[in-house]
Amino acid sequence: MEIQTVLETRDVTKTYMVGVGVMKAKKPLRAVSGVSLSVKKGSVLGLVGESGCGKSTMAKMILGLENVSSGEIFLGGQSLSSFSPKEIARRVQPVFQDPYASLNPRKSIGSIISLPLRALKVGSAKDLDGKIDEIMDVVGLPPRTKHNYPNQLSGGQRQRVAVARALIMRPEVVLCDEPTSALDVSVQAQILNLLMDLRRELGLTYVLISHDLAVVEHLATKVAVMYLGRIVEEAPTIDLFKQPRHPYTQALLQSVLTPEPHLGLPETHLGIAYPNPIDPPSGCTFHPRCPFAEDICKKEAPSPTGEGGHIVECHFPRS
Amino acid sequence: MKKVLEIEGLFVDLQLPAGTLQAVQNVSFSVNQGETLSLVGESGCGKSLTALAVMNLLPPSGRFRAEKMEFMGESLLGVNEAGMAKVRGDKMAMIFQEPMTSLNPCYTIGNQLEEAYLQHRNVPESEARERAIYLLEKVGITAAASRLSQYPHQLSGGLRQRVMIAMGLMCGPALIIADEPTTALDVTIQAQILALLHALQKEFNMGLILITHDLGVVARMADRVAVMYCGQVVETGLAAEIFNNPKHPYTRGLMDCIPVPGKVEPGQKLGSIPGIVPTPIGNLHGCLFRNRCRYFRSKCAAENIPLIELGPGRAVRCISEQINS
Repeated sequence: MEIQTVLETRDVTKTYMVGVGVMKAKKPLRAVSGVSLSVKKGSVLGLVGESGCGKSTMAKMILGLENVSSGEIFLGGQSLSSFSPKEIARRVQPVFQDPYASLNPRKSIGSIISLPLRALKVGSAKDLDGKIDEIMDVVGLPPRTKHNYPNQLSGGQRQRVAVARALIMRPEVVLCDEPTSALDVSVQAQILNLLMDLRRELGLTYVLISHDLAVVEHLATKVAVMYLGRIVEEAPTIDLFKQPRHPYTQALLQSVLTPEPHLGLPETHLGIAYPNPIDPPSGCTFHPRCPFAEDICKKEAPSPTGEGGHIVECHFPRS
Repeated sequence: MKKVLEIEGLFVDLQLPAGTLQAVQNVSFSVNQGETLSLVGESGCGKSLTALAVMNLLPPSGRFRAEKMEFMGESLLGVNEAGMAKVRGDKMAMIFQEPMTSLNPCYTIGNQLEEAYLQHRNVPESEARERAIYLLEKVGITAAASRLSQYPHQLSGGLRQRVMIAMGLMCGPALIIADEPTTALDVTIQAQILALLHALQKEFNMGLILITHDLGVVARMADRVAVMYCGQVVETGLAAEIFNNPKHPYTRGLMDCIPVPGKVEPGQKLGSIPGIVPTPIGNLHGCLFRNRCRYFRSKCAAENIPLIELGPGRAVRCISEQINS
């Protein structure tokens, strides 16, 4: 039996028009350009890249908060544009980065968690309490916190509230945008463990957006590396970390500071500048920072190549 | 090697509506020339307040006292605000976490770079300008002269942090205190900024206090480490000793919490420290980590735990025998 594809993006592009100055024509900024991804049920897709690479724009489009400029997103085989916003909300739910900013300070925890049910008018008012208690138990929140307010909870508990709110609709896809980067290390481990347990128990599908490669390696089953709106490398997690083929992926992996004191600081050879996305470099957009760039890289954009699910967009992939 | 900063018995109290928060309790450490000391711990452990106390920049609700606080052989205790202003930004510089918020958006980069130098050195503006250009080039900023007339919003996050570092170096400090200098940056930029900081530190033979919660950064940068928990130093030692042979249950817990590629299998459960950090208000006694510790015995609650010396420069605040097995 083939495993079902829950989420698929086909050649998705998002272009913003941005002002570059008074009395000057607006210029197009391609935040995401031609991204095709697919996520199988029960798997975890890790989306990594530096700030400004378009990963959050991808998230907004998957959540239906931004329209695609071209291309299409499919949810359970149906185009996202055929759904109403409420239907999308029923099927895709987010967990955001900062649990201090993403919870309404004036609402009680019970009210925050049950908001999706009430907004989408799912179930009767009578069932509501039972459902809140159930989901709080699932994410490991003590029942007594139901009538508390966010400021009475610790950072880890707040993030559990955010997870509970995302899961109460039993969505098909949970989109985690940097779910642990605002948390302390000991709390981060608790939340990562929780996300892993929930995936196993409830068969959840995650899209995990993170700049922390150690977290991505730990949680994701497949990783896509983004650079300037393009997916430059995509592979099953184990392959990607064992044998990164794109020079950018290699530089990213080298930059990870693991707690091994004898290794010292890595040398990444990346240069300073992340290019301005309004005015991207010609050819392969990575060429100004690439130590292996040759003439063709400046002229022609590489097309994706590779086999066995390990796809790389580079003229001279490393092996 | 010469000691740049030596601190003994530092306490910081914050007056809060709920009572006196004992944010830093009896912290002692020293930093030598050309050496990196890392203060590591989770939010609220007092690592930033320790640094602010050294600079005498505590918030209005904060008070500190210490038995000894010597900077380059001279005591900082009892030095008034005017005296501290002479030291700060001159021989002692600080690099803050958020380059977005710690640069003034209304002034040019050049203006902000030159300010401290003009203040401390009484030199003509042209000389300050020269020094600013020299340092911007040192921190790897191209077209340095033209950057001086730019405003912070025209620079990327990585460039801003480079400007912050250049600003810290303007007067040729003997000590740099860097509070989470790379937390707001991307991993690739983080590696570059840390490498830069490290190279400059060696070149100018400065002492560096690196405050961070990121154990990866600590491992790669620090010569010595002090792990803080709830206002106390719970373990200190050389970086290699701390990472290869952590003694305190809290340090061990922290190490188990981070996914390390190659060490922790993907999908495997991470270790975690149960419970939450207590708030140090009121009468503190016993080990502050005891309610989260798996080696807890009744003795841990009864007495205050001293830092027990294990060797030269190596100490741990724990009385459990298990930590040595």
